[in-house]
Amino acid sequence: MESQWLSLFDVTIDFDQSHLFFPRIVTWILVILLGLILVTRYRLLVPGLKHAGRVLAGREGEFDRKRFFGTLVLTTLYFYMMGVLSDVFPNTGYSFLICSIVFVFSLSMLYVGQLSRRLVVIIVLNALIAPAIAWYVLAQLFRITLP
Amino acid sequence: MKAIWGKTCLAMLTSAAIGVSASAQAQDECPLPSNLRVVIGSTSTGGDTYQASSIIVDQLAEKLDINAKVDAVGVMGAFRALERDRRGNTIMVFHDGSYLGNLYGVNGYPDIFENYKVGPTFAINPGNAYLVPKDSPYQSMDDIIEAAGNDKKIRVAIQPGGVSELGFSALKNAVRLKHPGKESNIVAVNTGSQADKNQLLFDGAVDVINGSVQANEQYTNLPEDDQKAMRFVWLTSPEETIAQTNEEGMGKTTREQLMQYADVDIPMSADSDESFTFDKEFFFLYNKDMDQAAVDCIDNALADVFEEDEVNEQLKRTFLVPDFKPSTEASEWIQQKNEKYETIIDNLKG
Amino acid sequence: MDILSHLTPMFFGLIAAGTLIGIIFGAIPGMTATMAVAVCLPLTYAFGLENGVALLLGLYVGGISGGMVPAVLLNIPGTPSSICTTFDGYPMAQKGEGERALKTGIVASIFGGLFSAAVLFFFAPVLADFAIKFSNVEKFLIILLALTVIASLCSNLLMGIFSGVLGVWLSLIGTYSIMEGGNGEPRLMFDFMEYYLIDGFSLLPVLIGIFGLTTVLLDAETGFKGDSERGRISLKGGKKFSFGVFKGQLTNLIRSSGIGTFVGMLPGVGGSAASVLAYSQEKNFSRDSSQMGKGAPQGIVSSESSNNALTGGALVPLLSLGIPGDSTTAILIGAFTLQGIQVGPLFIGNNMDTWYLIIIALIIANVLMFGIMYFAIRHIAKVIEVPKYILYPLIIMMCVVGAYAINYGIMFDVWTLLLFGIFGWVAHKIGLETVPLIIGFILGKSAEVYFVKSLESYGNYSIFFTKSPIAVILWVLIAVSLAFAIYLNIRNRRQAAVES
Repeated sequence: MESQWLSLFDVTIDFDQSHLFFPRIVTWILVILLGLILVTRYRLLVPGLKHAGRVLAGREGEFDRKRFFGTLVLTTLYFYMMGVLSDVFPNTGYSFLICSIVFVFSLSMLYVGQLSRRLVVIIVLNALIAPAIAWYVLAQLFRITLP
Repeated sequence: MKAIWGKTCLAMLTSAAIGVSASAQAQDECPLPSNLRVVIGSTSTGGDTYQASSIIVDQLAEKLDINAKVDAVGVMGAFRALERDRRGNTIMVFHDGSYLGNLYGVNGYPDIFENYKVGPTFAINPGNAYLVPKDSPYQSMDDIIEAAGNDKKIRVAIQPGGVSELGFSALKNAVRLKHPGKESNIVAVNTGSQADKNQLLFDGAVDVINGSVQANEQYTNLPEDDQKAMRFVWLTSPEETIAQTNEEGMGKTTREQLMQYADVDIPMSADSDESFTFDKEFFFLYNKDMDQAAVDCIDNALADVFEEDEVNEQLKRTFLVPDFKPSTEASEWIQQKNEKYETIIDNLKG
Repeated sequence: MDILSHLTPMFFGLIAAGTLIGIIFGAIPGMTATMAVAVCLPLTYAFGLENGVALLLGLYVGGISGGMVPAVLLNIPGTPSSICTTFDGYPMAQKGEGERALKTGIVASIFGGLFSAAVLFFFAPVLADFAIKFSNVEKFLIILLALTVIASLCSNLLMGIFSGVLGVWLSLIGTYSIMEGGNGEPRLMFDFMEYYLIDGFSLLPVLIGIFGLTTVLLDAETGFKGDSERGRISLKGGKKFSFGVFKGQLTNLIRSSGIGTFVGMLPGVGGSAASVLAYSQEKNFSRDSSQMGKGAPQGIVSSESSNNALTGGALVPLLSLGIPGDSTTAILIGAFTLQGIQVGPLFIGNNMDTWYLIIIALIIANVLMFGIMYFAIRHIAKVIEVPKYILYPLIIMMCVVGAYAINYGIMFDVWTLLLFGIFGWVAHKIGLETVPLIIGFILGKSAEVYFVKSLESYGNYSIFFTKSPIAVILWVLIAVSLAFAIYLNIRNRRQAAVES
């Protein structure tokens, strides 16, 4: 009797398909939870989306589009150029060094509020020195592979 | 301000470029970069691939007077890195797993002979082994083959799709030859690391595990009543290979004792007497388009390195067997191995 | 006494250097203890076994401890195991108690470190025999127990659990790795993504993306208004550190260190699970946990003592079975194999001198870590006074290094960083909870392997209940942990309702 009852829970996993077994379970749980969330909160959904659209378009709320999208664009460019330049200077970390100097400088300039002569000097020095130290210590001393 | 910035950038670029070309010119005959990256097909820095490569790469770098660094990026990462680099700035080191993965049809494994250039071999790990619990009824591989013939299920813990599975396939094939139709009694229990394989043996969930002399020898010295105690039943390397290790063998097991486990008859086909053996060999892989001069250069430098005792002793001390074959020879040899094992794997598929 | 001859100035010097470098690696967002050990591994060949191991143990202890610095000051965990330190550390830093939080963490760390060293020394072989009683079934249950943490850490139960499950789902993207015994087939993606995603997303880039880059994006969006006016964290004000913080914390210290040591001992369960488990058990079982997550020192105590206790714990299976307990000890094993030293069940007996030296090195590393950090902390804490337009570009730069270096140079990991940085920002906006998500991500892969492998071996779901007495005990713990979490969640919601 007991063994019959237990056999309800029998399961055989075909090795060739075993990569799908667990993900299927997780996907189902995820879908069910998503359903629950939508059911309990659907009233918040539409106004929320509208609000988000207006904010992104800059028509409402305090959203610094210049700095936000600037960060995204600069970071994307940084990563992209690093990949490109690392083919030019393979296995030396020069690509990391060059791109980081440009990136750190540009991002600092984007973030800083009021510019003064002194600030520019600080930012330039920081952009030159910090990546150089990082590059020297990591790529030269510790021989970490950098782009 | 922008102008200054642009000029600085340009200056940096040029100076960096000059730096690169100047250092590259240092070795006139060798078109190898001054910073060579060696990617290995393993993500572990504690494993035999890293161990063997770091010994060889250090020697090679010294001989060529360049900087070389071993990066444990793993199989897929290594193949990708190699593909992208036609100029020989990146080379790869891996073992027989590189073509076995393809033979077993593992997703993502390319045909290395078609997509890459096989470089020199340099070392063998003679330690690929199969073990049973110390109190196992099976004393030898013959016992296991016979038991399978008598409809006993033999569960073997392996990591699928590579070196670990090959011995399992050979065993299954041997059962097929001696007791046709009974090969399904040899069952693979697919698992991951050595720790996982050992754990399955401790749990009593498998009868045999794949392991290695290096990782498992100490377990064979434990008293029989210890849950962790194991016993070697099979080393896949031929006796000739093991004969080249140091006489002390590994731990408390002497070379002579190890040789017994290699002296095992695993038939490969019905029409020949040849017994199955397998040496896990480490070799270089290059981008298909890498300059032949660079290939020759590494060949020559390695030949010089192996002339000296230092590297041979270093390898032997870590229970590896020196095994240098220059590219051309190595490439043919690895292809031969590929064909030999392909037959076994194909026979079992049918 | 051959051992004394090894206690050279070189030996001590290497431990000190290791600890210091480790702390720096740990303290830089994106760099981890594992990376510090990996980077220095090739050096050990030249030093010989004893000195090499001394250096690496210093790096290990220093790296794990250093992770608390950015966790407290910047809300970015320096290493995955310091996630829980952010929960209370950062709120304390915002109240101007950064130094107090860090010092609490340091004291907890040395307690955890020494506790686990003692456990390692006295009980290693016995514990290793106990650890091998945990088969795939019990390991799955341990992970399940750690996942129940999600329920006690989230502010909204439904969203928290959803985020946790989403984390598990994300971790499964890629192939079912043959390295774990899977079949190497891809899932949860389209064919064209296979080239990049064959190995899935790596933990470290995901973690520093969600914590590091997201923080930058969230601040960029406000245009750094906080930099000059409100929100700017000051070092002054707030309570000063005193050892009085530890009054009534002894149970917490011992429980958390015990959990850390034990989870460290179980190969494959993962180091980050230790501090997560310890934190949630403190939350569930302490007399007053109402302040946890809002800046309670007890949270830092449990997180930091458990993650340092991990060090000794992870060495237990390494030295008494030859099996690494976590990702850092997996690299440590290389120091032995490179020298041709076997590690296995006979290691301790065969190498008594080395064994004593390891224990000595571990103790010294902990003491030095304490010394260095306790007195340097005042200066380190000034990091938060650096203006963000200087600090943030550098954080992104270091995150790039960390992401790129964690798998020894894979560009896709850098893109993962950006992807999850943006994802973290979106998640923040739509109310997903990032901490449950990360915990799910960390534990997802192991959960899959142990779950599927258990079923493959036994072929019946009931095995999870009937395998062993340990399994039954774990179920009881899971039930209790869940019940507490739900109870606390409801109580907190009521309290909030009453207050408003």
